[in-house]
Amino acid sequence: MDLQNTCILVVDDEELPLTLRKLVLERQGYQVVTARSAPDAMRALGASRVDLVLTDQVMPGGTGTELAQSIKKRWPEMPVVLISGINEIPPEAAYADMFISKVEGPTALCAKISAILSARRSPSG
Amino acid sequence: MSETQQVNILMVDDQPAKLLSYEAILVNLDANLIKARSGREGLELLLKHDVAVVLLDVSMPEINGFEMADMMRQHPRFQKTAILFISAVRMSDLDRIKGYESGAVDYISVPVVPEVLRAKVQVFVELHRKSRELERLNQELESRVEQRTRQLQESESLLRERADLLELASEAILVRDPAGVLKYWNAGAEVLYGWERSEVLGNPVHEILETQFPVEAKSSESILLEHGRWEGNLVQKTRDGQEVIVASRQVFKKEVGTILEINRDITSQLRAEEALRQTERLAAMGRVAGIIAHEINNPLEAITNAFYLLRNHPSLDEEARYYAQLGEVELARVGHITKQTLGFYRESQHPVNVPIAEILDDVLQLQSRLLLMNRITLDKKNFTDGEIRGFPVELRQVFLNLIGNAIQAMPNGGNLRIRMGTHRNETKGNTDLCISICDTGTGISPEHAKHLFEPFFTTKSTKGTGLGLWISKGIIQKYDGKIHFRSIKFQGSHMTSFRVILPGVTPALKAVEFTHHATGVETARASLGPAKHVHSCG
Repeated sequence: MDLQNTCILVVDDEELPLTLRKLVLERQGYQVVTARSAPDAMRALGASRVDLVLTDQVMPGGTGTELAQSIKKRWPEMPVVLISGINEIPPEAAYADMFISKVEGPTALCAKISAILSARRSPSG
Repeated sequence: MSETQQVNILMVDDQPAKLLSYEAILVNLDANLIKARSGREGLELLLKHDVAVVLLDVSMPEINGFEMADMMRQHPRFQKTAILFISAVRMSDLDRIKGYESGAVDYISVPVVPEVLRAKVQVFVELHRKSRELERLNQELESRVEQRTRQLQESESLLRERADLLELASEAILVRDPAGVLKYWNAGAEVLYGWERSEVLGNPVHEILETQFPVEAKSSESILLEHGRWEGNLVQKTRDGQEVIVASRQVFKKEVGTILEINRDITSQLRAEEALRQTERLAAMGRVAGIIAHEINNPLEAITNAFYLLRNHPSLDEEARYYAQLGEVELARVGHITKQTLGFYRESQHPVNVPIAEILDDVLQLQSRLLLMNRITLDKKNFTDGEIRGFPVELRQVFLNLIGNAIQAMPNGGNLRIRMGTHRNETKGNTDLCISICDTGTGISPEHAKHLFEPFFTTKSTKGTGLGLWISKGIIQKYDGKIHFRSIKFQGSHMTSFRVILPGVTPALKAVEFTHHATGVETARASLGPAKHVHSCG
C-alpha cells in the first residue's frame, strides 16, 4: 500500500487532540489534512483529493454523524470513520463505515484505518 | 271534619206539620235540618248525607220508625248513628226502645216538650262531634305512627348499608376506647393484620399490633384526646410478624368516649416510591457517568497519542523509551477503566446486538480485584458466542448483580463457576441463551429464598439496597427471559446457582447445546427442597 499517496482528512474542533492525531497518522506514513468543523471538512473535500475521513463525533456546528451523512450523499464511496469519547456507539453511526472509541489508542486506530483502506483497494478482500 | 262544620239532623215524620214544629224547636242548634216524609225517603237521605242524629217518628205508614231503625242498624255506616224516637208513651214501644243497644238511642214522648227535645238532640249532636273529633285524632295518630315507622325502617336500612360499606372498605377500620380496647374490627382489618374479629375484640389493639408511633405513644394519644384528631404513619406488625406501614387517621368521640381509627396499608406504595427513586438515581448517575466518560476520554486520547509519538521518537534512548512505554501502559489502564465503569451507564436509544460473552468478561474484569482479594477461583467456559438483542447497560447490570452477589457470598474464598451455552426452546422454536453462575458460598436459606426477588429484601444488612435481584429479574422478564435459582447443601458445603435464560438472536454456528455439557442434573426449576444429588452448573 502506498501510504505516501494516501490522504486522510482529520476533523476535530479541538486543536491539540487534532494535531496529535494528525502526527500519529503522519508517523504511520499517511498524508494528513485537517478541518476544524463539519462545513470546513466539506470545503476541504471539494478542494483536495482525500482517501478517508476520520472525524470526531461531538463538534459544534454539526456532529460527526451528520458530516458522514453529507459526505455519503456527495461521495458515496468515501470511507468515513467516527472517533468519539462516547463509549457506546450512537445509533445514527450507521452512516459512517466504522466507529472507534478514543480510548482504544493509536495502535488500534491505525490498524483499523489500514484495514478499511485495504478493503477499499481490493474489493474482494 | 272540622269542629265548625255543621252537623246534619234528619227528621222523619209523615206529618208535615210535625216536621215544621221540630224545625222550629231545633232551628237555634246551628245544625242543618233535613226533612223526610217517610221511612223510605229518610233512608235515601241518610245515604246522601253524613247524619249526626235521626229524629224518628215511631208511627208512620208503610215503614214505621222501628222498621226504619232496624234497617239502619243493618247498614254498617249507620250502626252507630244516634236515633231519637218520637213516640206516644205505650208500654210496648218503651220496651222495644230499651231493646236497642244503649247509648245512641233515646226517645221522647208525645206531646213533645221543646226544651226536652232540644236538650236531647243537642246531647247527640255533641256526642257526634266528639266522636268525629276522636276519629280524626285517631287517624292522625295512625298516620304519624306509620310515618315514624317508615322513618325508622329507612334509617335502619341506612345503618345496615353503612355497616356493609365499612365491611367493604379495604382499609382497616376499628373502634377502640382511649385505653386501646377494641370494640369494632372490620373485614379490611382482618385482611390487613391477619387477626380475626373474635380473636382481637376486647383486647388492647396497639399491644397486639406492636404499634410503633412516630412520636412517643403518649404524646400522639394526648393530641388525639385533646384536639379530637390525629393523623400519621404507624409501623405495625401483622399476625405472622410481617411489618406493615399504615397511614392512620384517628378521631376521638368525646361524647361516647370512643376512638375511630382508619388505617391504610401504604407499605407497597412506599416501597414502589423508593424503587422509583432508586431507578431515577441510577438513570441520573448514568447521565452523569456518560458526560464524565466523554470528558475524560477526550484528553486521554490526546495524552495517549502524545506518549505514542514520544515512545517512537528516534531521539529517545532505550531508557527514555522504557519510561514512555510505562506511561502508555498506565494510560491504557485508565482508558480501560472509563470504558468499563463509566460506559456502563451510557444510555442507548435503540436496542443493539449485545455479545453476552463480552458483557461477562467486562463484569469479571471489573470484579477481578475482589476475586483476588477473596481468593476466589474462576472457572469460566463459553460454549457459544451468541448475542442478545437489547441494551448493554441493562444486561451488564444483571450480570454485575449476579456475579457481585456470588462474590459477596464467598468472603473466605471459593469457586465461581460460569457457564454459557445455548438451549433449544421447543415451544418457541428458537434457541435460548443460558448463563449459569454458581458459587460455593454461604448458601440461601429456604426462608430467605421465598423473598429473594422481592424489592428491599437483603441479607447484607446496611451494605445492600435489596434491589439488585428485583431489578435483575425485571430486566430479564423485559427480555422475555427467565431466572431460576437453587441452593443446595452437599457434604457440608453450599452451592448456589442462578441460571438466566434469554432468547438469543443469532444462533451461532459453533453453538453447542448447553444441556449436553451438563454433567449432573440441570433443572430449570427453582427448587429449595433438601437436595440429595450434586447440582451441577454445566
